Amino acid sequence: MRLIWAVIRPLFHPRRTIKPTRDGWWCLLVAVGLGVAAINTGNNLLYLLVSALLALIVVSGILSEQAMRGLALTGIAPAEIYAGRPALFGAQIANRKRTLTSYSITVELLAPEARAIESGRRFIYFRRIEAGIERFATWEETLARRGRHRLAGVRIITRFPFGLFVKAGRPALADEVLVFPAVRSLSGESLRHLGDLGDAGARRRGRGNDLYDLRNYRSGDDPRFIHWRSSAKAEALMVRELEADTSHDARLVLVGRGHAGAEALEAGLSEAASIAVALVRAGAGVALEGPGVLVPLGHGRAHLRRVLTALALYHPDGARPLDPPAGGGGRRLREIRIPLA
Amino acid sequence: MPALLALRLVTYLMVGTGVAALYGAGLIGALGAALVVLAILVGWGHEQARERGAVRPALGWSLVATAAAAITVDLFYLAYSLLDGMVHLLLFLILLRLFVRRGLKDLRDAGLLSFFMLVAAAAISFNVSFLFVFVIFLMLGTSMLMLNHVVTELEQAGQRGAAGTAARRVFFRGPLTRVSLVAAAITFFLAGSLFFIIPRVGQAALPLRTQVGRMVTGFSDRVDLGSFGEIENDHSVVMRVYLTDESVDPARLPTLRWRGVAFDQFDGVTWSGMAAPRRFIRRGAAGDFAVGLPGTSSPPLRQEIYLEPIGTDTLFGAPRVLRLELRAPALVVDDMGGLSTSHAPARLHYTVESEVEPPARRGRPVPPLPAGERARYLQLPPLSPEIAQLAREVRAGARDPETAARRISEHLSTSYRYTLALKRQSSRPPLEEFLFVRRSGNCEYFAAAMTVMLRSEGIPSRVVAGFQQGEWNPYGRYFMVRFSDAHSWVEAHIEGRGWVTFDPSPRAEAPAETIPGYLSLYLDAARMRWYRYVVNWSLLDQVQLAQTVHRQASDFRVGLSLPRHWRMSPALLTVAGVAVAVLLAWLVGRHGPARRRTGTGPGMPAFYARALRLLAHRGLYPGVAETARQFASRVEAATPERAEAFVRLTGHYERARFGSTALTESEWQDVTRALAALGARRA
Repeated sequence: MRLIWAVIRPLFHPRRTIKPTRDGWWCLLVAVGLGVAAINTGNNLLYLLVSALLALIVVSGILSEQAMRGLALTGIAPAEIYAGRPALFGAQIANRKRTLTSYSITVELLAPEARAIESGRRFIYFRRIEAGIERFATWEETLARRGRHRLAGVRIITRFPFGLFVKAGRPALADEVLVFPAVRSLSGESLRHLGDLGDAGARRRGRGNDLYDLRNYRSGDDPRFIHWRSSAKAEALMVRELEADTSHDARLVLVGRGHAGAEALEAGLSEAASIAVALVRAGAGVALEGPGVLVPLGHGRAHLRRVLTALALYHPDGARPLDPPAGGGGRRLREIRIPLA
Repeated sequence: MPALLALRLVTYLMVGTGVAALYGAGLIGALGAALVVLAILVGWGHEQARERGAVRPALGWSLVATAAAAITVDLFYLAYSLLDGMVHLLLFLILLRLFVRRGLKDLRDAGLLSFFMLVAAAAISFNVSFLFVFVIFLMLGTSMLMLNHVVTELEQAGQRGAAGTAARRVFFRGPLTRVSLVAAAITFFLAGSLFFIIPRVGQAALPLRTQVGRMVTGFSDRVDLGSFGEIENDHSVVMRVYLTDESVDPARLPTLRWRGVAFDQFDGVTWSGMAAPRRFIRRGAAGDFAVGLPGTSSPPLRQEIYLEPIGTDTLFGAPRVLRLELRAPALVVDDMGGLSTSHAPARLHYTVESEVEPPARRGRPVPPLPAGERARYLQLPPLSPEIAQLAREVRAGARDPETAARRISEHLSTSYRYTLALKRQSSRPPLEEFLFVRRSGNCEYFAAAMTVMLRSEGIPSRVVAGFQQGEWNPYGRYFMVRFSDAHSWVEAHIEGRGWVTFDPSPRAEAPAETIPGYLSLYLDAARMRWYRYVVNWSLLDQVQLAQTVHRQASDFRVGLSLPRHWRMSPALLTVAGVAVAVLLAWLVGRHGPARRRTGTGPGMPAFYARALRLLAHRGLYPGVAETARQFASRVEAATPERAEAFVRLTGHYERARFGSTALTESEWQDVTRALAALGARRA
C-alpha cells in the first residue's frame, strides 16, 4: 500500500510544475497544425518538421530537468520583522549534483511587493550554478500590517534551454512569520519626558556606570572590564560587572480596548512598540500591561521580543480587562500610558 | 563573442538558411535569392549603423512602406500562385523585423518566422538538399533559441535601465556553446527517431508543384519521331531502380531495360498506341496487383523503383511484369503490356516483380496471334516502296521470321550511325531520310525503321519506349537511370516464342558519356537513401521496421541464453552475483552520498583529520558552525581523560593550518604522542 501511495503521490503533488511560455504555446500550436497538414497531405518532409518541433520540446524537457535536478532551495527569514519597514530575506540555492552545472536558474519572488536588492525586480537570475556550489539571493519585502503573516515564499524556476516552458520547483519560505508593530526611533530626551517618575532604582547587572560585582574572567568577556588589582590579589583574572541604570525602567500601560478605530489602535500599538524598543536598547526594563495583555518587567533582547510579540498579537476582541496589578509587593515603576482609544 | 552579437548572427544565418531552402525548392529564383540575401546584408549594416545613431528611423520605415506596397501588388496580381505570394509575404515580414528591429522580440520573431520558409519549401520540394538545409537550420535554431533565452533572462533580471548591457557582457562560448551543440545533436537524433515512428496514416504525396510535362512527348499515347533527341541530351537522374535481392549480380543482366509504353500505329511521322484496349486491375487480397502469370520457374527479379515526378502516368519496370506493389486503388494495363496509373503519389515509389526474359529459352509455347491482332501489328501507312525493297534485300535467305528480324536488326546497327544531331537534310519523310539520306539517327529512328521493315515483311512488330539499364551504383545497389537513358526498341512477335525484343540501335558505339566519379556515386547513393527512407517512408516501411526489430530482439535473446553447462552450476551465478553486489557497494561507497560529516576538508592537516576520526569512533563530531576550540571544550566535557591530548592536537592544528610557520620537530613528536594517547583504548 505504501508503495502504491509512493507511486501515486507525485501525481497529486508533483515536485515540479511545467507551463508553456507564450513561445511554447506557439511551438505547440505550430506542431499540431503541421501535424494535421502532414497527415492530410502525407508529405514526409512535413512529418520531418513536426518531428523536429516535437524533439525540440522533448530536449527542452530533458535539459530543464537536468538544470533543476539536485538544486536545493533554503529560505532564510529575518528574526524580527516590523510592519511597514523593509525586511531583508534571503535564500540559499545549492547545486548538489556531482558534476553537472545548472544553467539559467531564476529565483522567483512570489510576493508581489518583494524586490531583489540589486535589480529591484521579482526575479533573481543565476546564469550558472556549478556543481557543489551554493549561491545566495537576497531581497526586500515590506509587510504592511502587524500580526501573523503567511509569506508567499520563493521558488526556483527555469526556462532553460529554449524559453519554451517554465519549469518551477516547490516554493520555499512559505512560512508563517510574526510581524511586529511598526516602530519609529525615539530620542533619549523624549524618553525621559514620557510618563511620571517611579521609585528609586533596583540593583541589577547592566550597562550603567556603577560597580555591581566582581567575578572570574570567562571566555568571551571584554578585556576592558578586567579588574587588574583584584586579579593580582586573587592570582586569577577578575572582571567587573556594572550595575544597570534602572531609573528608566517603565511600565507601558495600554489604555482603552481599541474599539474606536483601527487606525488609532495601530497607532497606539506602534507607539508602545517604539517606546519598548527605545527603552530596551537604552538598557531599561519594560513591563507591558493592558486589556488582555500582561508582560512582567524584564529587560534584554529576549524580553523585548516578548513585549513586541504581545503587541503584534494584540486583538481588541480578545482583550479582556485585567485585574489591577497587586500593589505594595514591588517598587512602583515609571508608568507610560498609551491610549488605544 | 558577446551573446547579443552571437544571437544576431545566428538569427541572420537562420534567415539565410530559410532563403536557401526556398531557393532549393524553386520558390524563388537565383535573382530573387540574391536580392533577399542582399536585403539581409543591408539589414545587418542598417542595424550596425542604427546602433551608432547614423540612421534615421524614417529611412527604415520608408523602406518598409515601399516593400509593403510591392508585396500587396504581388500577392494579388503578380504571384505565380497563392503559395508564391505567401512566401513573398513571409520574406517581407522577416525583412521587416530585421529592418525596424526595436528589441530582442523582433529578432526572435525573425528567427521563428524563418522556420516557415522551411515549411513552404517542404510543401513543394523533396530534393535531398532539403536535408542539408534542415540539419543546418536545426543547429542554428537550437543555438538561436538558447541564446535568445539567455539574453532575455539577463535583460529581464538585469538592473533597471541597463537592459542589454548584461547581455553584452555575457559571452557565448565554452560550456554554453557545448550545451547548445549537445542540444542540437540530441534534437536531431530525436527528430530522426520520431520521424520514423510517427504512424503514417496518410500516404506519401506528390509535392504541390512539380516538373509536370517534361516527358509528355516521349511517354504519352503519341510520340513523334526524334522527340527523344531533346531529352537524350539531359543527364538528370529520372529514376533509381533498387534491386532488393542482394544475390542478383547486375553484370549478368546486360540486356535489362525499363519498359514503359508500346506503340502499334504508325502514320509515317508519329507512333501512337491510342487504340490499344485497356483494362483496370484492382488491388488483390495481398495488397498487390497481379499483372501476369509466370512463364518459367526461374525466380522473378524484384525491383524497387523511385521515379522522379516527370509528368507521365507510365510505370516503368523490367519486362515482363508479373506483380506490382503500388499505393494506388487501381492499375491500368493495356494489351501491349503498358502499365500506368493516374494516382500521382503512387508513381514516386513502387515495387515490381518481373520475369526477365531469358535470351534463348522460354517455357511453354505461345499461341499464334489472332488474325485481327496480326493485322494490327502489320499496319503500315503509305510508304516509299524503297523501304520494303530494302527489307527484302536484308532478309534474303532467312528461313524464319526470327532470323529475318535478326538480320534486319544487325543491318541497321552496323550500316547506320547513332547520333543525336537530327537536323533535316532533305524534304523526304523522316523515316526515308533516315534510311536513304542521312543514314544516322537516334534510337527512335532505328526502332521505327526496323518495325516498318518487319511489318513490310509480314512480321508483326511494335515500337517500345522506355529506358536503358542506366548506371549501376555499387554503393547503393541500384541502377541510376538518367533522361539520357531514354530509349526505343522493337518487339516482334515470333511464332512459338511470342514477343521477342530486338534493339537495332547502335547506342553502345556512341561516344561514351563522362563516367561519374566515386563522390558523385556516393552523393547519388545518399540521395537514393533520402528518397527511400525519408521522402517515401510509409506505413508499410514502419511495419517492416517493427518486424525487423522484433526479429532481431528475438535473435539477441536467443544469443544471450546461457550455455547448458552454466545452468547446471548455480554456484557460479551466485559468485558472479556477489561479485557484482560487492562492486556496486564499492562504487556507491566511493561515489555515493557523502558520509557523515567528520569535519575533514581541504587544507586540514592529516594528523588532525586522524584525530577527528578517532573521536568519531566515540561518537564525537565537530558541529557545523563549531570552531576547533569549541569542539575541544566539548570533547573535554565528554571525555575528560582524552581532553588533554586533544587540546594539544588542536593547538598544533591551529599552528599548522593558520600559522605562518611549519611545525617543528619537537611539535611533530608531540603530535605523535598526542595521537597515541587519543587512540589508546584506555587513556
